[in-house]
Amino acid sequence: MAALRLAAYAQSPDAFEWLDPRSGHDTDPFNHAIEFMTERFRDDYILSIRELTKQYGDLKAVDDVSLDIEPGEIFALLGPNGAGKTTLISCVTGLITHFQGDVRVAGYDVSEQSHITRRLVGLVPQELKYDAFFNVRDSLRYQGGFFGVEPDDQEVDQLLEAFSLADKADQRTRWLSGGMQRRLMICKALMHDPVLLFLDEPTAGVDVELREELWEYVRRLRERGTTIVLTTHYIEEAEKLADRIGILNDGEIVRVDEQETLMREFGMQRVQVELGAPVPDDLSAELDDLDIERLDEHRLELVYRERRAHQTNERSPVDRLMQTLLDRNLEIESVEGGRTSLEEIFKQLVF
Amino acid sequence: MNDTGGYFSDDLDALPDDETERRTQIEQRARDRIGQTVEGAQHEGWYGTWTLFTKEMDRFWSVAGQTIISPVVTTMLYFLVFGVSLGDRLKEIQGVPYIDFLVPGLIMLTLINNAFINSAFSFFITKIHGIIVDILVTPLNYLELTIGYTAASIVRGMMVGGSIWGIATLMGAGTIHNPAITLAFMFLTALAFASLGLAIAVLAEDFDHINLLPNFLLTPLTFLGGVFYSIEMLPAPWDTISRLNPVLYVVNGIRYGMTGATQAIDVPLWQAFTVVTAMAVLFTGWAMWLLASGTKVRE
Repeated sequence: MAALRLAAYAQSPDAFEWLDPRSGHDTDPFNHAIEFMTERFRDDYILSIRELTKQYGDLKAVDDVSLDIEPGEIFALLGPNGAGKTTLISCVTGLITHFQGDVRVAGYDVSEQSHITRRLVGLVPQELKYDAFFNVRDSLRYQGGFFGVEPDDQEVDQLLEAFSLADKADQRTRWLSGGMQRRLMICKALMHDPVLLFLDEPTAGVDVELREELWEYVRRLRERGTTIVLTTHYIEEAEKLADRIGILNDGEIVRVDEQETLMREFGMQRVQVELGAPVPDDLSAELDDLDIERLDEHRLELVYRERRAHQTNERSPVDRLMQTLLDRNLEIESVEGGRTSLEEIFKQLVF
Repeated sequence: MNDTGGYFSDDLDALPDDETERRTQIEQRARDRIGQTVEGAQHEGWYGTWTLFTKEMDRFWSVAGQTIISPVVTTMLYFLVFGVSLGDRLKEIQGVPYIDFLVPGLIMLTLINNAFINSAFSFFITKIHGIIVDILVTPLNYLELTIGYTAASIVRGMMVGGSIWGIATLMGAGTIHNPAITLAFMFLTALAFASLGLAIAVLAEDFDHINLLPNFLLTPLTFLGGVFYSIEMLPAPWDTISRLNPVLYVVNGIRYGMTGATQAIDVPLWQAFTVVTAMAVLFTGWAMWLLASGTKVRE
């Protein structure tokens, strides 16, 4: 074990925090007895992609992409079909080995040190694939074994239990329903306990119930400490799950940011007010700096950009509108509010 | 969702409700797990290769009726038709009873086909059905993939060949004169053609490409490679042309190993051994190079 730690240190000396549990302070591994040490990954990013380009003839499927993924986050790679999402993750997971650029997982180069990076990474492919020769349990055992460690039967059982496949353990994979096969694919990707899991369009073509179920699995996997990158063209999926979002279009990264930041920057608030009396004609004139539209005789709509921190000392547009309506003694029948969806933001950025 | 048992809860403390603290704890867990996994990943062993081998064995064994019994039955028909019925008339070839002359050739005929077909079909089906993703994402490198696929094919080829020998012996064929030479030729031939099958499967884009080689090259070469006759029985120039056929050398190699009769072989043993070794090295090297380059697989 000590030799393994030294090997890890020699390969990537800066990437780990070397802790001596006796002192509680960082230590230099070569000045202390290494058998007392544990290590914690301390780089900023578990995945670093630099200037990645993958070209097929004249087509650049991925064009000069740089991207960093933080440990423990759920990152959604969002883009229309053909944007290059699958090609991008294929370069990280080993499905594509000829590309330009630098891709590192936990500091290890995916081309030069693939025996390490592939142990760290898991992939749930988009399309349902199954090996018809084997049953569910054997499929999992073989998949785990490929990574060099004999699978533990108890761990296989726990995984099957967790993904509601325990009663199908001895059934041939070809007889599973679509939902079960998708869960089996996730189990296969988890057999070697990857720390970085790629889910390629995990809910493409699945019904609403299964989609919710898969989202819950993703959240729980993250809670175990698995970093998750999912590709999707369902905006709702990114909105529900992701901490950060990368928008990919025509092979290029258009934008990468926290979901909240994107919503704040591009998000618009809408407030619809229904009055007991007709909307006064001169209301817009009085509030001429606000975007107020008269929807019909009794209803009006206010659209405004979400406020940033430095703007909070100003009176909000809703407050001003409401105050004006109250000052005029106009009866307010109802008020409805809404926020711009990520889908609308996506359209603004991509199209 | 079911109660998720131990997988999602194993020795993990409950996460705090506060979102910021929650995120911090999750990040710590992630960093700890990365550290532990990197440490484990430094260890390189052969368990992955062993798993691929056992999976491939399991695959052909699960359909043993097609992969073992069927080729044995087909070959025994050759044995009955050519060996038993014609053997009564032909008596001897080059001083060896015809049945003893025929059995080594039949073993090679079947072994070549089965070693080739096993790795070719297994890899190609995996590729065409997209299941190869399961293999490509693993740390298995080109050497380990080649060993896993060819080893299972060699076992299948030798099991089929061994079964033919066993049945032929029960039906009156001679025993093996030199087991070491016999096994060496069987092993090297199986390795050569298993690797050739693997290489062809890597390059193939549809099933026709896989069938092309056995149907239009392997079968003619095997039938013309002295399985049923000695090339000395052929008129010129066919006896000389036959010497360009590599299968002739492997058939004669095993024929010597099984009969021990130098007069029954058409080429010297050293030539036979050189050709079979060269084929094994060439085809195995080709398969490894294709897998290492990622041609048609990691594109």
